[in-house]
Amino acid sequence: MDFLKERFPDAPMTTHVNGDTEILVPKERYEEAVRACYDAGYKYCSVVTAIDWQDRLTLVASLCRIDPNEVGARNIHIKVDLPREGAHIPSISKLYPGANWHERETYDMYGIRFDGHPNHRRILLPDNWQGGHPLLKDFVDRRPKRPRLVRHRFAE
Amino acid sequence: MERTRELLVNMGPQHPSTHGVLRLMIKLDGEQVTWCEPDIGYLHRCFEKLSEQKTYPQVIPYTDRTDYLAAMLNEQCYVEAVEKLFGDAIQVPERAQYIRVMMAELQRITSHLLALGSMAMDLGATTPFLYCWRDREKLYSLFERITGGRMLYNYFRIGGVRNDLPEGIIGTPQDGEDKSDKTIWGFINYFDSYVYPEWDALVTGNRIFQYRTKGIGVLTPEQAIAYSASGAVLRGSGVKWDLRKNLPYAVYDRLEFDIPVGSNGDCFDRWWVRQEEMKQSSRIVKQCLEWLAENPGPVMAKVPRVLKPPKGEVYHRIEGARGEVACYVVSDGGPNPYKVKWRSPAFTHLQLMPLLVPGHKIADIIAILGSIDVVLGEVDR
Repeated sequence: MDFLKERFPDAPMTTHVNGDTEILVPKERYEEAVRACYDAGYKYCSVVTAIDWQDRLTLVASLCRIDPNEVGARNIHIKVDLPREGAHIPSISKLYPGANWHERETYDMYGIRFDGHPNHRRILLPDNWQGGHPLLKDFVDRRPKRPRLVRHRFAE
Repeated sequence: MERTRELLVNMGPQHPSTHGVLRLMIKLDGEQVTWCEPDIGYLHRCFEKLSEQKTYPQVIPYTDRTDYLAAMLNEQCYVEAVEKLFGDAIQVPERAQYIRVMMAELQRITSHLLALGSMAMDLGATTPFLYCWRDREKLYSLFERITGGRMLYNYFRIGGVRNDLPEGIIGTPQDGEDKSDKTIWGFINYFDSYVYPEWDALVTGNRIFQYRTKGIGVLTPEQAIAYSASGAVLRGSGVKWDLRKNLPYAVYDRLEFDIPVGSNGDCFDRWWVRQEEMKQSSRIVKQCLEWLAENPGPVMAKVPRVLKPPKGEVYHRIEGARGEVACYVVSDGGPNPYKVKWRSPAFTHLQLMPLLVPGHKIADIIAILGSIDVVLGEVDR
């Protein structure tokens, strides 16, 4: 992870319990950080997701290296803090085509927009879904309540 | 002369060969497919939202229902992720680790059997499907005796497994075909001497099958990595990458097995990798059985009544039946997970359809879809 430390000396870096590295970069440098990882051989995007901390959203892009001879290569999680309203961030699906659907899912569930995404639509929910983004913590289910089951009374 | 018009065809939702509710929109030029886009979400059951409202152990049955054909592998991923969050506080007994690995590998055999059987059926060969059902049934009755469930087990617990193996289920290495649904050794011997050679002769060597799959849906190694492929799809393209070897978890570093790798990255190679993987799984199961027969012990660690992992995050990846199953668990110190993200291989693999399908005939769609082996329960979660 030295290449990231050199390039982002003041970005906070932590290690997860299982050895994964996590780096929190400012939004403007997200693309640069992803590019640096890509050039360092992290050519495989495992997942893109987000966490709702209720005062902010955190985008997580998890990258890893695929080298058949290497044992124990750990992921890098690139994190970016975003505002809860109107969050948008450059898409990495040009670099990692496999991130395409994960970004769509993140948009679907958290409402983060990905600039330059080739097919920016909802994915799991229907296109005409009006109910908001369900994995946000303040999501309210606006579906009508189901009628309560009435116990059947047999004729006496 | 007039040219044929491009035709937009809607396959599904619920095309019989999609193993779930999947809709494919395809554009056809005559018999050639020019464009394809999958439409998913018909089976969305809010797994991630629901698990935020459950306690840690209550999430385990939900993980079964994501990929219902390889339920125990999902349990393993989630359970190990939560154990990682606890750090040293939970020490899983070794016997439980071996039972987990053995069950996971048996589950991989059932999952691959179904993948192979249904792919063959989609290509028009009905018999292999019935054979796969027959062999899966034997394993399912073994699972039923061990865990109490046939498909959805809720067997792995945070800190171990629910119960030890019932008496007499391990059997002896001499058990033959007559014991194949009574002891695990019986099944493994039956598998090695009968099931595997039969598949090899019946389908893999079949000329029609080879015509239908060789050179179809070719995925180069670079594309496979760029598109985040994993499991048999990645290995079929010739990338020797298996999380059991390259990022060992549980007790895989103590077991001996090989990683089969394809060379062309077509449908046939993906098929072949799955078939060889079953053989390697049976090798692993044998080693586990030998260990388990000699080492009795506890199968459950001491865990607190209410599980509250310390604050933290973990992203745990394991080699599932379809590829890299991973789970991102965030804990805020409370009794419920703050967030659970399920990274499912089938979801990621379905992205390959727009890449692989164009240029092929309409009948090849089914071969390609069968060879990337999607389970829609896992795609939509």
